[in-house]
Amino acid sequence: MIKVEQLTKRFAATTAVSDISFDVRPKEVVGFLGPNGAGKSTTLKVITGFYSATSGSVLVDGHDVSRRPEAVKRAIGYLPENVPLYPEMRVHEYLRYRAALKRVPGSRRRAAVDSALERCRLGDVRTRIIGQLSKGYRQRVGLADALVGDPKLLILDEPTIGLDPNQIRQVRELIRDLGRERTVILSSHILPEVEAVCSRVLIINRGKIVGQGDPGELRAGLGKEGASITLEVRDPEGRAPEVLKAVEGVTGVGEPIAGEDGLAVFEVTAGAGASVRERIFDAAVGAGFKLLGMSSRTLSLEDVFVQITTSEDCDEGDAERDEEVAQ
Amino acid sequence: MSILAQVRREFAAFFHSPIAYVLLLVATVLNGLVFMFIVDFLSDPRSPHGAPMQMLFSWVIFWFIVIVVTPLITMRTLAEEKSSGTLETLLTAPIDEFGVVVAKFLAALGFYLVLWLPTLAYPLVLSRFSEIDLGPILAGYLGAAGVGTMFLSIGILCSALFRSQIVAALLSFAVVMVLFLAPLFSFLDPAITSDSILGYMELISHMEDFSRGIVDSRHLIYYGSVTLFALFCTVQVIQARRWRG
Repeated sequence: MIKVEQLTKRFAATTAVSDISFDVRPKEVVGFLGPNGAGKSTTLKVITGFYSATSGSVLVDGHDVSRRPEAVKRAIGYLPENVPLYPEMRVHEYLRYRAALKRVPGSRRRAAVDSALERCRLGDVRTRIIGQLSKGYRQRVGLADALVGDPKLLILDEPTIGLDPNQIRQVRELIRDLGRERTVILSSHILPEVEAVCSRVLIINRGKIVGQGDPGELRAGLGKEGASITLEVRDPEGRAPEVLKAVEGVTGVGEPIAGEDGLAVFEVTAGAGASVRERIFDAAVGAGFKLLGMSSRTLSLEDVFVQITTSEDCDEGDAERDEEVAQ
Repeated sequence: MSILAQVRREFAAFFHSPIAYVLLLVATVLNGLVFMFIVDFLSDPRSPHGAPMQMLFSWVIFWFIVIVVTPLITMRTLAEEKSSGTLETLLTAPIDEFGVVVAKFLAALGFYLVLWLPTLAYPLVLSRFSEIDLGPILAGYLGAAGVGTMFLSIGILCSALFRSQIVAALLSFAVVMVLFLAPLFSFLDPAITSDSILGYMELISHMEDFSRGIVDSRHLIYYGSVTLFALFCTVQVIQARRWRG
């Protein structure tokens, strides 16, 4: 459905996206994950043809975006970040106009608008003025706009940003629903969202893809099915960090949060299995500090994400930070 | 088909904004004032012979309306899309930059012509009481449309350059003023004749020609070429976004 090859996008002095390649298969729901300013939006804007690539190629449904933008645009329903809409128009007016713009033939326009309204549960606000709608409704108008004309590919840039938890859940359900019959790419900096909705995740940081796979794979491959263990110790002499680092299976020891009376709380990352906890216990007894509490949880995608986006690439020294690439 | 849908939206958008009604009011009141003078003129037996409707298109009030109104019509067109981000939804739909610019131009021209619509009543009313010569009147409207077309295209170009509507309006007002005033220097220097460039660009005498019923193709070619050039530049300006972000 989408084939991106060696895509690079440079703005005057900054490189927003550098040499990324990926494929999206039909009917896949792919999540673009990355911290703010990682190059997610820029990549999406190149795919939709709003920006031109500096080098590399983008094929959508077999058409090259730079050569046949018209064909590509017709295949795509796009929800830009921040959902720009015309505030003075009424919801159904706006969707009718968008349907006409997207060349839905006159006879099918009403049906197309009605079905988009229904899918996004906008029936009760169809005659309201867009500017007077709440953020949640506006977001759904944007989604309905992306849907109208039944595109094969949906590109949603931060579709749940600024919504309340209830609305977020609704929008996610809708996206999951839509993903059953078409290809969806969405970007997000919220991990549980991507985990909940997407069948495949591309992690992008500083304009490069630093990891990809389905959410489980990512967790397994990169976090090595690890666990994060929270320890509460009484350790007046402060020996615990060193002792813990030496324990077999421990991959990292966080900064201690010191409390009163030599109490300290540590975050320890470790390989999976109960045996690590046993060894930690033995080590504590051996070293003579008191273990007051220990709790373990499997690494979430969030931990993996933090690991990837903060550890790799950081010391590569490429000065091309793209945080300034604000839209 | 996409362009048609876009023209329809752009045209409707004018009537969603209060400025449109203010402009309609101002134009109608000022033109009404002109009509009052025309009627005065006709009812005075000492008046010289001539086509009274000339006043509508060659008087100071005509220029005031055209010069002040056109920047206000066009300031919104692209500046608003840029500042609100809707340019992105617009250009990722199956319509290209050329289509968007043409649609905005046609809609602006349509609204500008609506401003003149009420004046159609004047020749109708006059024709009941006196003979009227249709030729100069039609030529006058043609001239008003021509000058308007040129000014509107300049306004759209200015609107494409900025996110701020006010800045866009001020710049297009300035450019239009220069186009209007600069050729007037030809009056100061007798060496400049109507064959020189400044003479060629002299809008006041153009409109005097039109309102006398003289349709000079040189004038129309001037308006048309400025319009095409301004719209061409507008398309380039919007396309540049693809590279500059």
